[in-house]
Amino acid sequence: MLGPRRREAVIPALVVLLVGSCLVAIAAGAVWISPLTSTRLLAWKFHLMARPRHIPEATSVILFQLRLPRVLLAAVVGAALAAAGTVFQALFRNPMADPAIIGVSSGAALGAIAVILAGGGAALDGLGVSGAAFVGALATAFLVYRLARLGPTVQVATLLLAGIAVAAIVSAAISLIMTFSGQQIRSIYFWLLGGLGARGWQALAAASPFVIAGAVISLASARDLNLTALGEERAAQLGLEVERFKRVMLGAGALLTAAAVSVAGLIGFVGLMTPHILRLLIGADHRKLVPAAILGGAVFMILADLAARTLVSPEEIPVGAVTAVLGGPFFLYLLRRERTRAGARP
Amino acid sequence: MTGDRGDAGLVLEGVTAGYGGRPVLEGVSMEVRPGQVTGLIGPNGSGKTTLVRVAARGLRPRSGSVRVFGVDPYGVSARRAARLVAVVPQETTPAFSYSVLEMVLMGRSPYLSAWRSGNEEDWLHTRRAMEAANVQHLADRPLEELSGGERQRVLLAQALAQDAPALMLDEPTTHLDIRHVVEVLAVLSGLARRDGRAVLAIFHDLNLASAYCDRLYALSEGRIVSEGTPQSVITRELMWNVFGVEAEVSPAGAAGRPSVAVAPALPLAPRDDSPRAHVIGGAGRGAAVMRLLAEEGFDVSVGVLHVGDTDQVLAERLNLLRVTVPPFSPIDERSADDCRALMAGADVVVVCDAPFGPGNVDNLRLALDAARSGVRTILIDQVPIEERDFTGGEASRLWRSLRSNARSVSGPDEVLAGVHAGRGQI
Repeated sequence: MLGPRRREAVIPALVVLLVGSCLVAIAAGAVWISPLTSTRLLAWKFHLMARPRHIPEATSVILFQLRLPRVLLAAVVGAALAAAGTVFQALFRNPMADPAIIGVSSGAALGAIAVILAGGGAALDGLGVSGAAFVGALATAFLVYRLARLGPTVQVATLLLAGIAVAAIVSAAISLIMTFSGQQIRSIYFWLLGGLGARGWQALAAASPFVIAGAVISLASARDLNLTALGEERAAQLGLEVERFKRVMLGAGALLTAAAVSVAGLIGFVGLMTPHILRLLIGADHRKLVPAAILGGAVFMILADLAARTLVSPEEIPVGAVTAVLGGPFFLYLLRRERTRAGARP
Repeated sequence: MTGDRGDAGLVLEGVTAGYGGRPVLEGVSMEVRPGQVTGLIGPNGSGKTTLVRVAARGLRPRSGSVRVFGVDPYGVSARRAARLVAVVPQETTPAFSYSVLEMVLMGRSPYLSAWRSGNEEDWLHTRRAMEAANVQHLADRPLEELSGGERQRVLLAQALAQDAPALMLDEPTTHLDIRHVVEVLAVLSGLARRDGRAVLAIFHDLNLASAYCDRLYALSEGRIVSEGTPQSVITRELMWNVFGVEAEVSPAGAAGRPSVAVAPALPLAPRDDSPRAHVIGGAGRGAAVMRLLAEEGFDVSVGVLHVGDTDQVLAERLNLLRVTVPPFSPIDERSADDCRALMAGADVVVVCDAPFGPGNVDNLRLALDAARSGVRTILIDQVPIEERDFTGGEASRLWRSLRSNARSVSGPDEVLAGVHAGRGQI
């Protein structure tokens, strides 16, 4: 953990980092749009200055129709997943919890795919997909939680196993649906891999309200998340209405996950890694951790998406693969670290 | 600590509670008065922790009522209840690493809302709580780096920060060293006496419970089996009936609170063919020999002893055959006869270097008779007879006669060697 003064600097630093990564991500691509250009175009769009001259119309189109919505969507999705991860980790009293690992993402995907197939591709950005994803995510979250709970605590092994088992069942259901999905199998497959391409402003508009709602609930619950980290009984003794709080937070976590999954497919490890790295930096006080995770998740996702679309340009790597390549080894490291700590415990 | 709360602090009436089929608590009624430290004792699994849980809104009783300063904690929000009653658990293992200050601040949760962080008053309570629990110097340390005792004091500070009129502690001193035990218990006494809080603490250490509590409740198999002052609750009978332990309970300290001492397990009961030994002791000088012989498998008898004599108390605990006379009275003829018979049938008589006065000098006459009649006799001749002769020379004269008729050894350790050596000679 950092010293007290440097800890205070983490959140301002993340804000700076967020703005910086936005500008870089907007700039990079098949056509380079310099931060100066994009800033001037944005200022024009917000009526702060006149239409800048010497900037081709195409640049403006690329910026406003492609780059900007994509970067903002990445930020929203990353923030949502990181906030959901932070909430789940506190709620399950377990640093291994993450929307993807405990199967909530798969549940959301199942719900979304069912609606996509039922309503056809046209429903892709509609509220129906988000709603179905939310129902799927919520159902999975409660199911895994009930399965993993033995006595007063949720054991790490039980949680992971229950999550894996539920995720496997849900994946089987997804496979089954895909088998009968005919021509849409390819689009569903790429959607599942996770991606932010060509989703436009519509996706951003569909996801943002849910993400904002989930983020506000998470921020408002930060203090109580600290209490749940002490265990349910202790949290109740310190004045928390535990059962109600758990339901609200599972709902908020599922809402955040569902919003992210319905517009970006399955993207793993963001929710696991972001809170973990930040906890190492600023400690486990959720009053700082939740806002930091929201900012950090956004930054991480913007950069992962930037890598996904620029590394093997003009081809595009699914962003879920980028986060998995970064997150997989990190997850293994955490698993080993937890085991070592558990072994050393008297 | 003002306001109309009635005169009762925490009151349980006819509480029956449990987790599954069998109730853990059955018909428990108790009262934790403001201004007092009330102790809860009882063996493992008797329901002590469950009782605290019930009182702290953690387990709704199946029947009966709970009132904390007149308020039913199950009838109000968790937040409101947390302002009324604070709990110090045995141990808390946070899922993540929190600093001591962060932990103690969590104690202010019942007073804070989502968007409002602590104000002056919250900081004041937090600082006071940390000072009272003596953890202020640990403020920035992560909890998991601390020792068990330090963690326990952090939990105490967290509960104190709650500033509740009722405080319940589940074994608050288990991990503490003796200095911190005294400190923490002094804090609890202060909270009760100075601030008028109702304090309930579970104790495993009965001597601490006895020394620091104003009232005690003993719980056994989910029922209150004894209640009242420490003097009336902590007794030999309670130790045996509730804990299943033979223990000596005697007044200790200036306050004369009962103090419990446990002895090693009783020696095996002697068999019919066990060798017999008779011990003449008194004033504790016979204790070592009685134990030694009993552990060696001797069928030991003692006497004549005065009731209340240290050796008599031990002989009773060791369940030895004993001849006794009332305190301060001389040895009567019947006791002398009984003793004579025991010595005649003994394989060995051990005369300890007890003090002898008019009340017990006859013991030496009885021993001398036995020795002269051929009973193997061992004399522990450690403390010079002149120093323990309170008969004006009579005891010394008898002792010297005994010396010429018995084997003298220089201490209790040598008695067994004397017994075996004596055997070899025959």
